[in-house]
Amino acid sequence: MSCQTLPVEPSEECTCREAAAGPLKVVAFLCNWCSYAGADKAGSNQLPVPADLSVIRVMCSGRIEPALILEAFQKGADGVMVLACHPGDCHYKEGNLRAFCRAELLQRLVPQLGIDPKRFHFDYVSAAEAEKFSRIANDFIGQLRRLAIISLLAS
Amino acid sequence: MSTQAKTAVILCNCSGIICERIDWKQVQQLLANHPSNPVFSVDELACGADNLEHLGAWLKSEQPDRVVVAACSPREHEATFRRLLDSAGINPWFMQMVNVREQVAWVTEDPRAATAKTARLIHAALNRVQRHEPLSERSVPVRTDVAVIGSGPAGMQAALTLAQAGRRVTLVEKEPVIGGLPARFEELFPNLECGPCLLEPVMGELLHGHESANVTLLTLSEVTGVKGGFGNWTLSVRQKPRYINPDLCIGCMCCSAVCPGRRPNHWNGSGELAAVDVPFAGALPNLPHIDADACLRLKGEECAACLSECPVEGSLFFEDQEREYIVEAGAIIVASGAVEKQELPAAFAGMADVHTAYSFERLLAMSGPSGGELLKADGTKPQSLAIVQCAGSLDDSEAAYCSGTCCRAAIKYAHLAANKVEGITVTRLIREQSLPGVDAGRQLQHDHSTVVRYDAFNALSVTANGAGRGISISGGATIPAEMIVLCRPLVPGEGTAACSSLLELDLDDEGFIAQMHSLSGSCATTLKGVYLAGSCRGPGDIREAFATGTAAAGLTLSDLVEGRDLVIDPQVAVVDATTCAGCKTCMQLCPYKAITWNDIEKVADVSDILCRGCGTCVAACPAGAITGRGFSREMLRAELEGVLS
Repeated sequence: MSCQTLPVEPSEECTCREAAAGPLKVVAFLCNWCSYAGADKAGSNQLPVPADLSVIRVMCSGRIEPALILEAFQKGADGVMVLACHPGDCHYKEGNLRAFCRAELLQRLVPQLGIDPKRFHFDYVSAAEAEKFSRIANDFIGQLRRLAIISLLAS
Repeated sequence: MSTQAKTAVILCNCSGIICERIDWKQVQQLLANHPSNPVFSVDELACGADNLEHLGAWLKSEQPDRVVVAACSPREHEATFRRLLDSAGINPWFMQMVNVREQVAWVTEDPRAATAKTARLIHAALNRVQRHEPLSERSVPVRTDVAVIGSGPAGMQAALTLAQAGRRVTLVEKEPVIGGLPARFEELFPNLECGPCLLEPVMGELLHGHESANVTLLTLSEVTGVKGGFGNWTLSVRQKPRYINPDLCIGCMCCSAVCPGRRPNHWNGSGELAAVDVPFAGALPNLPHIDADACLRLKGEECAACLSECPVEGSLFFEDQEREYIVEAGAIIVASGAVEKQELPAAFAGMADVHTAYSFERLLAMSGPSGGELLKADGTKPQSLAIVQCAGSLDDSEAAYCSGTCCRAAIKYAHLAANKVEGITVTRLIREQSLPGVDAGRQLQHDHSTVVRYDAFNALSVTANGAGRGISISGGATIPAEMIVLCRPLVPGEGTAACSSLLELDLDDEGFIAQMHSLSGSCATTLKGVYLAGSCRGPGDIREAFATGTAAAGLTLSDLVEGRDLVIDPQVAVVDATTCAGCKTCMQLCPYKAITWNDIEKVADVSDILCRGCGTCVAACPAGAITGRGFSREMLRAELEGVLS
């Protein structure tokens, strides 16, 4: 999956496109108070969220241990997101900052395991940011699709 | 997986808006082979009262071990469905909700994709719910007594409100008198209301009113230790000796009149007091106190001046000792206030007729050093007064914030000075002006000053020339300033720092006690059972002190109700003592100081009273020894496996 060495962009006729357009397995860990509420609001506003995305709710982004994210990749996830409250807005004061530190660590760790760091995304989504949640979800899955095409080309 | 618990799945149509996108028949087919052999109930509106009744009956007849509800967001109806389980005789925590309305039906256009996603999420929930443990809320009895630290307007108001509700309150005050800073002010902004007239009835009510029996006042006292948690705090309080027997002394002050000992009057910011004295006339409680460093007799000299004048034998009590009290309380209200920053910058230090705002308040007061006359050190009346606002506030080198009250106080000073000295020139030097509130317009109408803007406090200097003293603004005008008032920043008091350290409360960037939330929780802290009132939260005026005192009392009354035990949410972190390695990683991470060290077993202990269930420690424990109830590792892994299968 070392896509960074493959600058090949698929042509319009590429037969891989269809395969890459199939469902992906994408997990998003959302904190209850901000990002999960933002995802709910995306629903209230009828904003599109890819069906490939599976949300797992936790009370705080600080609950997510890096091992759980690695396990997601191990079990076949195409991508994993952790979404937290904005700095200063954490319902539990600073769990989001712990999550941020762990995300920084994971960004460096996953390439060592042969996983493209683009497959892991950490971001802040507030309870009001329905549009941002929808955009992040679509952008992330769009990016994963491009990676999927590239890895298919590579094999 | 063949021995999975029988699971009932409730599929909600939400009056048609869920089933518009999701085909429940197909979902049921996709899940038919799940090892838990789920049984399904499709309901038009599961949360509706009639349907809940029907679902309760269905659950009773099916007798499942676990329940999955596919409906709206758990943020909306998790509690509703937990109650449903409870009513059907199933442990409420044997339930998992799947949010198919907000996060599937409403965001997925293609019904096939929505149906597939729903089946996947329910599959994950079926996996997860097998791992759920039965939980129950724990009840602990709580004390309803309250400790209030600080007896300024905020602390007094909190104590009085609680006492009026029948609560027993211990009010701890480090000074010999109550009333805080404004007890020294004669007239209050914005309406020049009489300060003593406002405060004395409150103080009187607290000391001698109908509910005063509910209040134990400890003056000259400081909290030296705090143990416990919400509902069960134990405070150690040390009281300095007053050397006066409060039960005998009648407050006639005959002792003070003859006392030869002297000490600086720090309440006035100038002048002296007798060794046995009250800080100012009208101070309450109406008792003198003896400063042991100034009293000749306590220093070992042969002096009995006060004893010979005192009409009530035993009132003067030279054998008085320091006392220790143990105060047990369910909640603590911190009202330790703010103080004016006393140190003056070099440009103003040591000069005659330079006052801080508070020493100027005393100078204006009838009970002050000059009997309310505005006099310079040489005994003459000043012909010009310069009031320097923002004198250290809005300044990164001193206090980066606005002290909030100086503008209104300065307009008051200008008004009072103009009334006391005919023809006086008053100039207010400002960097910014902040006059919030409905009274500000009227205050400005009565402003007797000329307003001059300046850029930097450290660019001001005092110049003396033939025409008299002035303040020179760097590169600009010179303002006549025979008398100068510096509105120094309001900074956290010593008591505020001491309280935060004892209670391990976080401080904000400026050293005030961090609020639970700056807008929606400004009278609460992140520590359950500790509330805030007044200027320990940040600079505020008297109105805010009274309002937040009432608010803190209100929070206490709603959290600690007589006869109502404290119900503890079972979704907390739990340490497995057999696997805890004692590394203490969790203790540093817990935002609520809920984890303590068990020195006997050499393991970490989580207090379920203080834990809020965020799970930060669960994720951080290197030994995996901490379980987050309701969000355990096993539950999350089962759910993860489900969505990836």
